[in-house]
This record gives sequence, C-alpha cells and structure tokens, in this order.
Amino acid sequence: MNTRSTHAPIIQMQNIEKHFGAVIALAGVSIDVYPGECHCLLGDNGAGKSTFIKTMSGVHTPTKGEIIFDGQPMNFNDPRDAMEAGIATVHQHLAMIPLMSVSRNFFMGNEPVKKIAGLSFFDKDLADRVTMEEMRKMGINLRGPDQAVGTLSGGERQTVAISRAVYFGAKVLILDEPTSALGVRQTSNVLATIDKVRKQGVAVVFITHNVRHALAVGDRFTVLNRGQTLGTAQRGQITPEELQDMMAGGQELATLEGSLGGTV
Amino acid sequence: MSDTSSNSTDERIKEISSFRQALIRPELGGIVGTIAVFAFFLLFAFDSGMFNSQGVMNWSIVSAQFMIIAVGACLLMIAGEFDLSVGSMIGFAGMIIAILGVTLGYPMWLAIIITFALCVAIGALNGFIVIRTGLPSFIVTLAFLFILRGFTIFLPQTIERKTIIGGIREAAEGDPLASVFGGKIFGNVFNWMGDAGIIATFQRGTRAGDPVVDGIPMLIVWAILLVIFGHVLLTKTKFGNWIFASGGDPEAARNSGVPVNKVKMLMFMFTAFCACVFATCQVMEFGSAGADRGLLKEFEAIIAVVIGGALLTGGYGSVLGAALGALIFGVVQQGLFFAGVESSLFRVFLGVILLAAVILNTYIRRMITGER
Amino acid sequence: MKKVMKSLALGAALLTAPFAANAGGHGDDLSYVLVSHAPDSDSWWNTIKNGIALAGDQMGVSVEYRNPPTGDLADMARIIEQAAASGPNGIITTLSDYDVLKGPIMDAVASGIDVIIMNSGTPEQAREVGALMYVGQPEYDAGYAAGLRASGDGVGSFLCVNHYISSPSSTERCQGFADGLGVELGNQMIDSGQDPAEIKNRVLAYLSANPDTDAVLTLGPTSADPTLLALDENGMAGDIYFGTFDLGAEIVKGIKAGVISWGIDQQPFLQAYLPVVVLANYHRYGVLPGNNINSGPGFVTASGLEKVEAFAGEFR
Repeated sequence: MNTRSTHAPIIQMQNIEKHFGAVIALAGVSIDVYPGECHCLLGDNGAGKSTFIKTMSGVHTPTKGEIIFDGQPMNFNDPRDAMEAGIATVHQHLAMIPLMSVSRNFFMGNEPVKKIAGLSFFDKDLADRVTMEEMRKMGINLRGPDQAVGTLSGGERQTVAISRAVYFGAKVLILDEPTSALGVRQTSNVLATIDKVRKQGVAVVFITHNVRHALAVGDRFTVLNRGQTLGTAQRGQITPEELQDMMAGGQELATLEGSLGGTV
Repeated sequence: MSDTSSNSTDERIKEISSFRQALIRPELGGIVGTIAVFAFFLLFAFDSGMFNSQGVMNWSIVSAQFMIIAVGACLLMIAGEFDLSVGSMIGFAGMIIAILGVTLGYPMWLAIIITFALCVAIGALNGFIVIRTGLPSFIVTLAFLFILRGFTIFLPQTIERKTIIGGIREAAEGDPLASVFGGKIFGNVFNWMGDAGIIATFQRGTRAGDPVVDGIPMLIVWAILLVIFGHVLLTKTKFGNWIFASGGDPEAARNSGVPVNKVKMLMFMFTAFCACVFATCQVMEFGSAGADRGLLKEFEAIIAVVIGGALLTGGYGSVLGAALGALIFGVVQQGLFFAGVESSLFRVFLGVILLAAVILNTYIRRMITGER
Repeated sequence: MKKVMKSLALGAALLTAPFAANAGGHGDDLSYVLVSHAPDSDSWWNTIKNGIALAGDQMGVSVEYRNPPTGDLADMARIIEQAAASGPNGIITTLSDYDVLKGPIMDAVASGIDVIIMNSGTPEQAREVGALMYVGQPEYDAGYAAGLRASGDGVGSFLCVNHYISSPSSTERCQGFADGLGVELGNQMIDSGQDPAEIKNRVLAYLSANPDTDAVLTLGPTSADPTLLALDENGMAGDIYFGTFDLGAEIVKGIKAGVISWGIDQQPFLQAYLPVVVLANYHRYGVLPGNNINSGPGFVTASGLEKVEAFAGEFR
C-alpha cells in the first residue's frame, strides 16, 4: 500500500510559518505527501490544522517557508490557483447544496456545455451520465441524477464531494474533518471512499482528530500541536495510544486517561 | 468496509414510481393551482363574460403583466435575493420615458433606450450595494422603493407641475421601437374571426363592426418571451446552475468556483429590465405616465413567484412555476370580479390562495429535497 | 403523496368557503358596475357604497362597486375592461386620468354599454369618451371658488395638505385654490401620504417652519382628521383659517366647534345615487336628463349642520 518509495512527493511543505499579527499560528511545519498515499494530519482543536490546510490550499500565503508542488516551488495567491494546480479541498460543511440535484452539484462551477445554434447550453445528458457513473464507482446508487443532495446522508454527501474533486483532476485532495459529524456506518463509507481515491493515485491529506479513523485508512501520520509538528510516523510504527498522547501534547492526557480508565 | 461498494440500495428509501417522480417537480403546485382555479371559475363564472374573447383578453393581459415582473423576481429570488423596488421602478421608468419623450421631445426610441439603460444601471447599483455591504437585499431595495417613488413624484411636479404626464401615445406615433412595446400582432386573424362571427364585434360608434379584441398586445408577447428566456436560462444553461448555486449556498458555490457576486448582480439587472419592460408596455398602451403606477407590484411579483413554488430563501424554484403563479394570480384577481364576489373580499382570497399555495409547495419541496 | 392530496383538499376547501357567503344579490334584469379610482384605504368612498346600495334597493337593480386596491390607475383601466367584458347594462366610473381611462371607456361604449362619468373628470372629457353624462364637481372650479371665498376672508398664504398627490384632481384642487387667492402654489402644497400619524407630523412641521401661514386647506377626511389633531396640539385650532374639501364625522365636529371655517361638500351621495337612478330609468323608460349634473360645490358652514351631522360619513 505504501507507494512512496517509487514516486517523488507531489507536494512538500517546508518549514511553513504563519503569523497573524502577534499570534504565531504555525511555527515551522514540514510535511510531504506522495501520490497514492493517505497522509493523516492529526491535532487537537487549535493545533493549527485549519491554518495549515488553508496555507496548502492557497487561502493563506505562508509568512515563511516554501511549498513545492510537483517539484516546482509554488506561490498560490488565491484558492483558484491551487485548485487549478490540482489541489482540491473538501470542507466539513459547505461542500454541497442540499436543494440542488446531485448532478447539478457535481458539476457546479464546472458545467459541461454543448453548442446548439451557436449558443452554449448546459449539457445535462452528459452531466447526468457522468454523475451516475462516478457515483456507482463510489458505491452510491442514486434513484436518478435529479435526486436532490438533501436526500443523501452526510457520508454520501462527503463521498459526492470527494468524487467530484477527483473527477475534476485533483492530484492532492484535502479532506477537512470529513468524518467528524458522521455516525459509525457513514464514517466507514467515507473511509472506504478515501481508500478508493488513494488507489487511483491521488494524494489524500486527511485531517481529523479521531485517532481510530486515522489509523483505519492512513499510511502516514503527522501530529500537529501548538503550531508545530511532533514528527511523522509510518503505519505500523505507532500505536493509537502514542498518537493520542502526541495530540494532547504528552503528559496531561496520560493522567486524564488513568482517571477515565483508558477509554479516550 | 467493502459492503458499501455492493449494489445494495438503502432499504429505508421507498421505491417511487416513475409516474410519481415525473409528477413531483417544482411546478406541481402551480399546475395543480392553475387547474383548480380554472375549474373553479368555469363552474362559478362561466356565463359571466369571463370566457368570451374580451374576458379572456382581460385576464390574459393582467396575468401577462404579473408574468413579466415575476420572471425577474423569480430568478432573483432563486439567486437568493429580493427586489422590493420593482413597483417603484415601474413608476419611475414610465415617468422617465414620459419626461424624455414628451417634455423634452426626444424621439421615442431614444427615450426608451435611455430609460432601459438607466433602469438596468439602477438594478446594478442595487446589486452592487447588496454585494459590497453584505446587507440584506430586503433593506437595500426597500430604500430604493422610497427613493425611486420619491423621484417619480418629484420630477414631474418640478418640471410640469403635475403628477401625470400624458401625450405619450401621440409622441410615439409611428415610432418603430414604441410599437415593439405598445403594438398588437395578429390583427388580421382577429379581424377575420370578427367577420366570421367567431368573436363579438363592436355594435355602435366609430368602431362598429370591428372585433372587440383586435390583436394580441405586445405585452403578452413579451411575457411569453421572457418566460421562455427565463426557463431556458435557468434549466438549460451553465449560468442557470450558477443561479441555483448562488441562492442555495453562496459559500459552497464560491468554493466551487461559481462567480456568485456576478450572478447576483446580473439578476438584479435583469429584474430591473423586466420592470422596465412592464413600464414601457404600460405607458405605450395607456399613453401617460403617473406617479402612482406600479404601487405594490413588487409584492404581487413575489406572491406570484411564491405561488409558483419558489423558496423565499433562495436556491429553489421554477420560472414556469412563477409564470403559472402569475396566471393564477391574474385569473383570480379578475375572475373574482366576474364571479361577482364583493370586491373588498379580494384580499381575503389572495391571502387564502397564497397560504394554500405555500403549504402545498412546502410539502412538494420537502419530498424533492429531503428537507425535514 | 398522501400529503399532497391532503394539501389539495385543504386548498380547495379554503377557496370555496367565502363563495358560499356570496350567493344571492343577483337575479335582477338590470346590472350596473361602479368603478372608482380610490384605494381600499380611502374611507370617503363609503358614502358612495351606501349611495349605490340605496339606489340599487330603491330601483330594484344590482350595482357592484369596484376599485383598484392600491389606487393604481393602470389597474383601474383593467377593471373597466373587465367590467365591460362581464356585460353589465351600464358602467358608472370616475375619470381621474383621461389618458389612461379613455381607451377602456370608449371600448365599453363601443360594445354597447352605457357609461356615466362621476366624481373626477370634466364634462368635456365625459362627452369625448362618449358617456351619457357627467355627475360631479369640477375640481379646479371648486378649488377656485374656495380660493375666492378665502381671499374675501383676508387669506394671503396657505398650506394645502395633499394626501393623494398622485391623483391629478387632488393637485387641481390646490392649484384652483391658489389661483382663487391669486398667489403662486409653489411649495404650499405638501405630499402628506395617507398615514394619519405622518400627516399630523408633517402639518406640524410645516406650520412650525412657516408660522405666518394664514390658512390650511385639506382635501378630505384622510388629511383633515389628522390636521385637526395637529392644530389642537400646536394651539392654532380656531386661530388659523381652516377649509376643507369633503365631509366626514370629524370635519362636521370641527365646523361645529368653529375650528373649520367651511367644508366644500361635493355631495358624493348624489354622485353615486343619481347615476344609478338615471341609468335605470333610461333603460326602463328611455328617459334621460338633458344635461350634466353638478353635485357640488356646496359650502357647509356652522349654520345648518343638523342634517349633515346626522348623516356624516354615511350619506353626507
């Protein structure tokens, strides 16, 4: 499953620092992501995860440090640049419009057009066909392409968003807490989707604070704490307990865990 | 983890027959309402003159008027915004045409073009302010409701010392652009129908022998064209998808690369354009512009759109539905007179129909979108 | 789907309910429609409704009252077209905007319906659209007469409280008054709107900004009632010269109390009652008065208020 030895990293973030006025949100974070791997980015609330992925997706420009994408140093000025380069972000919310049909959502902002008598029209047939096909690939059987996204479960919506990003050529897929609001079954659906996407050679950056979700699908794990990385670990080199401890910054959780009987 | 990739559908989602699925669409409320309203008036007002040629023309024109402004209001509402200045815009546009064409003596085609440019620019200003300030469009356009109405009263009073400027028909005599708004088509067909006794003719006066309906007014042609345009734009183009997306969730739409601000701006301009079409047809037909024209039309437009199944908060709706809503509204408004209902009860009916339509539409929408 | 059907049933039930209450009232061989330009909110037209109801009863004909709910004259044109399409024996209508209304009225006349113009418009315009006659009070002339009277009483400046500025006939009243006084109208006319509180405050504001104003002219109960309150509040009541068009319960009280010098009564009752009587007799016996009927102006002052008081707001 680990293909990184055979490829160069698709994106490298080197010593990224981000300051907001006097606040240092990121104090030198480095990670690299390879095509076909799922790189889990773990951290507690306020650890700097959001700032980091916003830097990666072009929303923020880093105060210091370098982003190397596909071997080239990159300076993203806005999210569109990043999107065009092939970095897609699927947000926890704001991914889908429930009132609209799946196929309209799928092609939102990237509508296929066909010319009739010199005028461009939305190619609904193509959109419907592609949507049904892509959804089937991901294991979602729609009643029809006109089915509204509002009728889908939370996990299915994440899946639609993910497959949309992949269909439109994402090389790096950033998933911002895709499982945090989902039930057990839906979570496993999303994790299965991540697995499928990874196998297609897409680099997945999976942000979560749930260690079990990360271990279920991750190849490598980087833990962020207070704007710094505590290192990157390979799958199999680390236990859930160790990850949990790193996220919490060491000792505090150990004592807390003791009092809760090791259930956190 | 692999069970989800098998072809099992969710057993909790009931199978829906294709007939039912075809039935459940945003326009369903409008279709049902139209059938109900026509059935009702055929029953209660059949021999009142409502369905003779004059009567049909009467409610058709009133419905067409509503349709023209409803198309703009519908697309704007789907894009997530309101325009409460539509009614004032109608009065304002008519007054500008009158001032330019009559008081200042411009050729009518020029007066019409300038007025359209001015109205669309005001629409753009509406949109610009809403987008830039992030204020609710309700408030911004409410301000323009007062501003435009104020100018509509102030300008003619200052210039002509009255609040109605007449003489537009005379000034527009023979003007090619004016006839695009105020003319009638298919006159020959109606003449023939009059001669053949299919429709009634005038019995006395200078027009004795002419058919009582002597053509389809351009107002109706505009209404039909705008409805077709709006429907195609919304459902068959890329831009239409952006309209839905902008109203459904502007943030998600922006994340997907939809130029939400541009979409909203254009929809404000289109709404102003529709109001201007309404105004131009009206002044060309009646020959005068008055300070009271278009009062409360913004609400009538919104009512038609809501009867037609659009969601007040945006992201959902149908131009065909709005057109049917306008038809229902027009038929009911005129039909109640035909049916001999006490005129002060008109508003009671309007309220009841609005309420019934909204309840019905809410059920339909929930079925389609899975809202709870 | 069950839900849809239920909502449909609900909608249908709501739709039909008010009609049950409306049965009856027809069945006579003569039917007339009176179309006014007044918005729903204008209470003055109540006298008109009572007038046609009484005339309808006495003559044994049915008369319906129609008006554009918002006072939009373009909507009024549609109502006249609609009335013509419903094929009544006669239409009684105001002619508040000749340009807008002449087309629909002439069409109605051409399709064989007899028309009488009441209230607004002029006898000349009534003749031009082919109406049988005009029943009413020429507005400019009435304003002019009032201006002459006020001028005789020593008035040199005034405030015209116009609550219906979009109607040309309202403006003509103010203009006529100014011309009768022999002064420029200028800024002496204010657009007061229809809301009582706003009218009151605008009158107060104008009078405090222009304390030398000799007289106040209001155009009907809508503006007169709040103006009375305003004058009570700033202490000008009884001091400032106050004339008004039209009558109403409060105006009558004001005349009695000496706050209002006179009210110009255009006797709306006659404007509604007479056309119905004229039309019914014309259609039954072919008799028609040979001239227009001037229902006003008549000045109502403190003397001889008894009848006015008894029927104010109902028939006066």
